[in-house]
Amino acid sequence: MSLTARDVTKRFGGLTALSRVSLEIMPGEVHGLIGPNGSGKTTLLNLLSGYYRPDAGTIHMVQQDITGASVQQRARLGVARTFQKPRLLPTLSVLDNAMIGGWLDARAGFLATAFMLPQAGMDERELRRRAEELLHGVGLSHAIGRRANLLEHAEQRFLEIARGLAQRPRFILLDEPAGGLTPAEIDYLGGVIRVMAESGVGVLLVEHHTDFVFRVSDRVTTLDVGAVIKHGTPEQVKRDPDVIRVYLGA
Amino acid sequence: MSVSNRSWAILAVIAVLFTLPWWSGDLYKVHLAALICTYWVLISGLNLVVGYSGQLSIGHVGLLAIGAYCFAILAGTYGLHPAVAIAASGTLCALCGLVLGLPSLRLPGFYFAMATLAFALIVTEITLAQGNLTGGGVGLSVPGFPPPFDSPRGSYWLILAIAAVVTWLTWNVARHTWGRGLVAVRDSVVTAQAVGVPVFRAKLTVFVFSGFTAGLAGALFAVLQSYITPDTFVFDLGLFFFVCIIIGGRGHMLGPAIGTIVLTALPEMVAPLAKLGNFFYGLLLLVVVLLVPEGIGHVFQVLIERFRSARGERHGVKPDLERLSKAIQGGRAIK
Amino acid sequence: MLVALITGLATGALYAAAALTYNVMFSTSKVLSVTTGHISMLGGIFGAWFVSTLGWPIALALLGSIGVGAVFGLITDWIAIRRVLARSDEHLWLLSTLALATMVQQAAGLWWGTEPKPFPRLIPQDFSAGLADQKYWLPIVVAIVLAIALELFYRRTLYGKLFVAMSEDAFAARARGIPTGRIRAMSYVIAGAMGGLAGFAAGQLTFAYFALGLTLTLNGFIALAVGGLGSNVGALVGGAALGILSAVATYFVGGEYQQTISVGLLMIVLLLKPAGLFGRQSVRPV
Repeated sequence: MSLTARDVTKRFGGLTALSRVSLEIMPGEVHGLIGPNGSGKTTLLNLLSGYYRPDAGTIHMVQQDITGASVQQRARLGVARTFQKPRLLPTLSVLDNAMIGGWLDARAGFLATAFMLPQAGMDERELRRRAEELLHGVGLSHAIGRRANLLEHAEQRFLEIARGLAQRPRFILLDEPAGGLTPAEIDYLGGVIRVMAESGVGVLLVEHHTDFVFRVSDRVTTLDVGAVIKHGTPEQVKRDPDVIRVYLGA
Repeated sequence: MSVSNRSWAILAVIAVLFTLPWWSGDLYKVHLAALICTYWVLISGLNLVVGYSGQLSIGHVGLLAIGAYCFAILAGTYGLHPAVAIAASGTLCALCGLVLGLPSLRLPGFYFAMATLAFALIVTEITLAQGNLTGGGVGLSVPGFPPPFDSPRGSYWLILAIAAVVTWLTWNVARHTWGRGLVAVRDSVVTAQAVGVPVFRAKLTVFVFSGFTAGLAGALFAVLQSYITPDTFVFDLGLFFFVCIIIGGRGHMLGPAIGTIVLTALPEMVAPLAKLGNFFYGLLLLVVVLLVPEGIGHVFQVLIERFRSARGERHGVKPDLERLSKAIQGGRAIK
Repeated sequence: MLVALITGLATGALYAAAALTYNVMFSTSKVLSVTTGHISMLGGIFGAWFVSTLGWPIALALLGSIGVGAVFGLITDWIAIRRVLARSDEHLWLLSTLALATMVQQAAGLWWGTEPKPFPRLIPQDFSAGLADQKYWLPIVVAIVLAIALELFYRRTLYGKLFVAMSEDAFAARARGIPTGRIRAMSYVIAGAMGGLAGFAAGQLTFAYFALGLTLTLNGFIALAVGGLGSNVGALVGGAALGILSAVATYFVGGEYQQTISVGLLMIVLLLKPAGLFGRQSVRPV
C-alpha cells in the first residue's frame, strides 16, 4: 500500500549523493525526513517523484515497480509534490494555479475543449469547485482571484500544497515547506499536514526544522552524507546518539 | 465584467465587424479589414504556440506559403471547388506542422527558433525550384471565391466568419484546462510535469493546430492577393506575425488581436511608416521587450487589477482545517 | 568540381567565423545572439563603402570595418543583453537580439540598397588567378587565424582566463570579484571585431549585401550546432563541413536546394550526436 524506495543509490559524476537508502511512506502517515545540508534529502525526494532515476535500487508504489516511470506517470499513479522554492505560474490567478493540479482528471481533450463539448464544461466546473474548496481549506480564501506573483511567501507555499492536493494524490512529498515561514505559519502548516494524513494521504515531510518534524511526524528517517543513520518514531530518533552527534557537530 | 455584460460586448463587436463594409467608406478599407481577419486566422492559432506554450516560432510564414500554394494549385490548376481547396490547405499544413514540430520541439529555444527560420527559407527555396508545380519565380494566379463571396464585401464576410470560428476555437482552448497546461509548459516545465502535463505532446498538439490555422489563412490570403509568388512570403512577414503576439502580450487573446489590427493598419495609414517597414516592427519589438516584456495586454490587465483592488489587500494564511478535510475526502474523479 | 570545393571551403570559413563569434558571445553571457550574422554583414558593407565610396586606403578600411563590428557588438550588449539578462524570463534575449537584428538589417537595406554591390579588390591581383584568387583564401586564412588567436587568448592571457572562468560558472566568477558585466561587454566587443574582420575578408565572395545578415546568422548557427556549441575546433570543422556540403550539392544538384541540404546536414548530426561533433553535453543553451 506504500510508496517505497529500496536500497537506492544515486551518483552525480564522482559524488555519491545517496548510498543504499531505503524509505517507506505509508498512506495516512506523516513520514519526516531530516538531515544536515547535503545529506541527500532533496535528491531522495527527486528520486521518489521521478525527476531523477536511481543508479541502483528500486522505487515501488503499492507493489508496482515505478523505478522507470516518468514524472507524469507517477502523477497519474497519485504522487504529488511541492518544491523547495515555490514554483507557481506567476501570470495566472491563485485559482488557476490550484486548478492546474487537476490536469489529469480533465477528460476533455484538445479538440473537445476547442469545440466546447459538454465534457469540457463539466471538467471545468468540477476542477474549479475542487480547487476553491482546497483553497478555502488551506486558508487562501482572500486571495482566490489574485495574480499568483502578488502572493507573499507563506501564501505561495500553501498554494503549492493546494495544487498538490488538487491532484487527489495518494502521496504528497513536501520539500522544505516550512522554509521562510513564521512560527505561527508553521503551526498552521502542521495542522494542514495532520489533516492530510488523517484524510488518508501519505505525507513525506522533508525539513530542516527538526522540532517541527518531530512534532508532526509519525515516523522519522535521518540521513547523513547520503546514508540512513536512524529510522523510527520521533521519540526514538530524537534521543539517538548518532543523530545528536550529526546535528550538534554539523 | 458580468456574464451578460460580456455577451452584450461580444454581440456589439460582432455587429460592428459585420456592418463594416457599410460604415468604413471605400472598398480598400474592406480589403484591408479582410486582410486583417486573414492574418488573425493565422495569428490566433500561432498565439497558442508562441503566447501560451512559449515556443518561439518565427517561421510560420512558411506554413502560410504552403497553404497559399496548395489552394492556388488545387483550386486553380486542378479546378477543385474552393471550399475543398481551403480544407485541403488547412489539413496539409497541419501535417507539415507535425513534420516540422516532431524533431524541432524537443530542441532548446534558440535552436527551435532557428529551425523554424530555416523552414521558412526552405519553403521559399522549394517553391522557387519546383517550377512546374508552383510557377517558380513567376508565381501563380489564384482563383477567387465562388459567388456569393466573389465581391469584396462577400469575401470579407466569408473571411470574417472563418476568423470568428477560429477565434472561438482558440478562445475555448485558452480559458480551459488546456490553456493553463500550456502556460505551465511555458512558465514552469517542472510544474507542468509534476501535475501530469505531457509536455512534448502538448507543444506538438498546439503546433499542429497552428499549422491548420496557418493553412486556412494561407488559402484566404492567396485569394486576397489574387497572384502569389515566392516573394510574397518573405521571412519578414513571419516576423510580423510573431511581433503582433509578443507586443499584444503572451497569454492573452485580446492583446494580440488588437496588435494585429494596429500593426497591419498603421503602415497603411501612416505613410512614412510604410517606408520604414520592418525597421518599425523591429523597433517596436525592442521597445516592448525592454520596457514591457509581458506585452501591452499585460499592462492593461495590471492597470485593471490596480483599479479593482484599490482598497487594501489582505495577506496571510488562515487554514480552515475542517473544510480542508472535507475537500480532500470529497475529491472525486470526473465522469 | 575543384572550384566548387574551394568555394565551399571559403564560404564555410565565413560560417566558421560566425560560429566562433557565437562562441565568444555565448561564453560570457550564455546568449546566442541573432545579430551574429549581421556583424559580418556590416563589416562587408562598410568595407565596401570605405574603399569604393570614401576612397580610403585598404588598411584603413580594414581597421574601420573591425571598428564598426566592435561597436555593433558593444551596442548588442548594451541594448539587447544588459537589461534583459537581469530579468528572469529566459527567452527575452532571443526577442531583443531578434529585434535589433531586424532593425539593423532594414536600416542597412534602406541606406545601402537592397541589391548586392561589388566589394573592392583588397590585394593587387588580376582576376585570372583562378583557384588562388584572394576571394577564396582570404576568408579561410582569417577563420584559421581567428581560431588560433582565440585559443591563445584563452590560454595565455589573463582576460582570456577570466572568459573561461565566466563561461564555466558566472555566479562563482562574480562571487570572486570578477566584473562580469564589463567582461561580457568586452567579449561582445571582441566578437564584434572578429565578425567585422570576417565580413571584410569575405566581402569579395559574398558581395556587400544587406540580406547577408539573416542567412549568415542561420548558417553560422548550423556550423556551430554541427561542430558543437562552445568548441572552436568544432566551429572550424562545422563551417568547413557545411560549406563543402553546400557547394558540392550545388555542383551536382544545382543551387536551388542549398538551404534544404544544409538543414538536412544539421538534422542528421543533431539526431546522431545532439551536442554536435565536438560539443560537450553539459554545455546546452536554455
